[in-house]
Amino acid sequence: MTAPRPDETDIYLPRPATLIETESLTAHERFFRFEMDAGVELSYRPGQFLEISMPGFGECPISISSAPSAGGDRGFELVVRRVGNVTRALHGLEPGDRIGVRGPFGAPFPVEDALTGHDLLFICGGLGLVPLRSAINYVLNRRDDYGEVTVLLGARTPADRLFTRELYAWKLRDDLVLEETVDAADPSWGAHVGVITKLIPRLKLAPENTRALICGPPIMYRFVLKELEKQGMSAEHIYLSLERRMKCGVGKCGHCQINGLYTCRQGPVFKYADIAAVREAI
Amino acid sequence: MPQKLIDQSSLGHWVAALIAEHKVYGVQAKADRFAFDALTEADDLRLDHDVTILPPKKYFHPPQEILLQFDREAMTFESVFHAEPFILLGVHPYDMAAISQLDKVFSMDHRDRHYLARREAATIVVCDVQTASPEVFAGCMGHATMEGQSGHDMLLTLLDDGRYLVDPVSAKGEALMGPLAHAPEADQAALQARKRVWDRNRRQLQKNKLKMKPSELPGLLAGSYDHPVWEERAELCYSCGSCNLVCPTCYCFDLRDELNWDLRTGRRLREWDGCMLRGFAAVAGGHNFRARRADRYRHRYFRKGKYTWEAYGEIACVGCGRCISACTANIANPVEVFNRLLEER
Amino acid sequence: MKPRVAIFDFACCEGCQLQILNMEEELLELLSVIDPVEWREAMSDRSEDYDIAIVEGSITREQDADRLRAIRERAKVLIAIGACATLGGVNRLKNHFPMAEVQKIVYGDAAAMPHLATMPTRAIDEIVKVDYKVEGCPINAQELSRVIRALLAGSAPATPDYPLCVECKKGENPCRYDYGEICLGPLTRAGCNAWCPSNGFWCFGCRGLLDDANVEAAEKVMEQYGRTADELREKIILFNTPREPGE
Repeated sequence: MTAPRPDETDIYLPRPATLIETESLTAHERFFRFEMDAGVELSYRPGQFLEISMPGFGECPISISSAPSAGGDRGFELVVRRVGNVTRALHGLEPGDRIGVRGPFGAPFPVEDALTGHDLLFICGGLGLVPLRSAINYVLNRRDDYGEVTVLLGARTPADRLFTRELYAWKLRDDLVLEETVDAADPSWGAHVGVITKLIPRLKLAPENTRALICGPPIMYRFVLKELEKQGMSAEHIYLSLERRMKCGVGKCGHCQINGLYTCRQGPVFKYADIAAVREAI
Repeated sequence: MPQKLIDQSSLGHWVAALIAEHKVYGVQAKADRFAFDALTEADDLRLDHDVTILPPKKYFHPPQEILLQFDREAMTFESVFHAEPFILLGVHPYDMAAISQLDKVFSMDHRDRHYLARREAATIVVCDVQTASPEVFAGCMGHATMEGQSGHDMLLTLLDDGRYLVDPVSAKGEALMGPLAHAPEADQAALQARKRVWDRNRRQLQKNKLKMKPSELPGLLAGSYDHPVWEERAELCYSCGSCNLVCPTCYCFDLRDELNWDLRTGRRLREWDGCMLRGFAAVAGGHNFRARRADRYRHRYFRKGKYTWEAYGEIACVGCGRCISACTANIANPVEVFNRLLEER
Repeated sequence: MKPRVAIFDFACCEGCQLQILNMEEELLELLSVIDPVEWREAMSDRSEDYDIAIVEGSITREQDADRLRAIRERAKVLIAIGACATLGGVNRLKNHFPMAEVQKIVYGDAAAMPHLATMPTRAIDEIVKVDYKVEGCPINAQELSRVIRALLAGSAPATPDYPLCVECKKGENPCRYDYGEICLGPLTRAGCNAWCPSNGFWCFGCRGLLDDANVEAAEKVMEQYGRTADELREKIILFNTPREPGE
């Protein structure tokens, strides 16, 4: 053990960022675009998360929703559901207001290596679109590096859909297949109704060449995985982003453990093969 | 480094000299128990203690500490580090083993400057156990003595002839030797006498007997995930976290903000938490990833005997026996749990 | 503008208000962020115009219930403070007896007088919606001050959902069970810094039982200490007489 150096980073010390733009997405979710102060880069990868501070209210882990750009990033986008003190305070912010940021933390989706050259199947349940949007846009920015791209999207109701303008733009692309479903439709709804797993058998998957990226509510994974296995997909080719209580983000506080794994360090993105036998994972 | 031999009265003078010059924390009586506390009188030091209510980790990872000060209007954060030098007197070898384990946890990967600052400020004087506590099993865990262990600065051993062998093992430890300059050096006979104390302690610090080597625990637990013991014992569990809180190797924590009366400035606090508490794995949306008592109960034993081994190469139990005494429902004896798993494997 | 705060008392010993008065220097800090408009124990002014109502005491008469409803209507935020307000307090013990008998024992021949009419004791949240609770008999003023600061900053103050043992262990207290006492710490909501055990008493449970208090376990554990489940229950009802279903 070596003594701490005076210039050593304090892993608990947030750095300030300023709100540039915010927009309501649904009754409970808001979109935010922040920018770090001049000279500060975040250099994040798709699937990573940040610890967002609203001093006085606390800190909470939030997935990054924007795709990193090639040259490094001062800016980043978040989608925040209002569920507690920190997120309620975030919803009250106006452009120009400031927050504290730690991170990025965690293992990202392997967009640069294991996923290149393959067909990609994104399965997003509810808020699961938030981190996957980072990966999807990363892929779309380098479209030629990947094979077929399919996005399956599930929401509770049409009113709960996030990023509706962006989804429309994806829908219009001929190099991406977007299939949507809702649990409960309204008269305006023209797409599928029912659980997201029902969309999987309709796809013409090439199981050996497909890589699946999944994020959704805890209950969703088991059913989606079962369906993917039925389609002949290998656990080696499935990546999941799991939610846990990542309080410190640096593998110390213990709250996010899935059995012996720290979600904030070994996750939140796990290869299914690595956690198939981890009992608390799915 | 010179090892010295001193009698009890010289020890008292030496401790008094340390108190006069340094901030000293030492083991003292607390009601009919023992606790580490600020030492102001040499006579209050109780090197004959069996075990302290809380382990000395509280000086490195306190129950509550300020990590940061903030100003939410300016959105500024300022780290708070505690680096005032201090001497810790009377740490038992098993507790030193636990501190060394925390050293690993807080210095691997993301280094925790708050812990490291306090740790760097400490001079640790370990004292070999003179009285075995009713539940101790450090002898089963390989932590009855300092043989094969490090991290401390000095070792005190009460020999059978009533004298103390004073053994500085680091520069910090040697720096405390000033007042003992004229004390006789320890001879071979004294070192032999110390070995006898160690041998005896290895045998006697086994009030509970673990029927396997600690290194067998990870393998044993790997095959015991669905053993009925977790459900059975958890039935009586209050989820009170007492076993977590008194454990010298537990380090889980929570972070919480508090505002000053100006409602603008405040501090971010780090507080001890425990995996046995109901809300430990609950997320803001309300989902609790370890909602059942039995799941939390099992998690603690797996952390002790398997997960920490996988992450740091250490069994996160040093055999202090505190969890056994602290559990009101008497379900927290790890030796009972592990032995039963072994017998019913 | 500072929020206008009114403090009201119902059936209680008014010890919780006294805790606020006892805040000493911190009281000045408190007054720098709030504007007290009614507080019987500290000032003679009265007002019907306030933002935050702090309510102490339990409800034991119909006219008190009416008064409480009127307070609730005027207040934007209502904070119940102290065991009487949050649980019904020791007062609730009378619910184990017929009201006529209670009246007779307390008031003797005068029991029939209309202003002495009584009803089963109710906690504040059994009559009106309570926004926040500060538990305890008496309350811990530090906790109240934390709640008020959080509230004024726009945060929803939380009460711990873990047992008192957590704070007791952090305070390095010996366990009361080691001295043959029945302590309610393992079943009781933390937040007082284990006030009683830190001063050599068992926990009386004045902060209320936890939502998931393992009372069944406690009843079995009593045997290990040569005590009975009945003895435990007697201790529990002092502050935690159950709320009658359907009332």
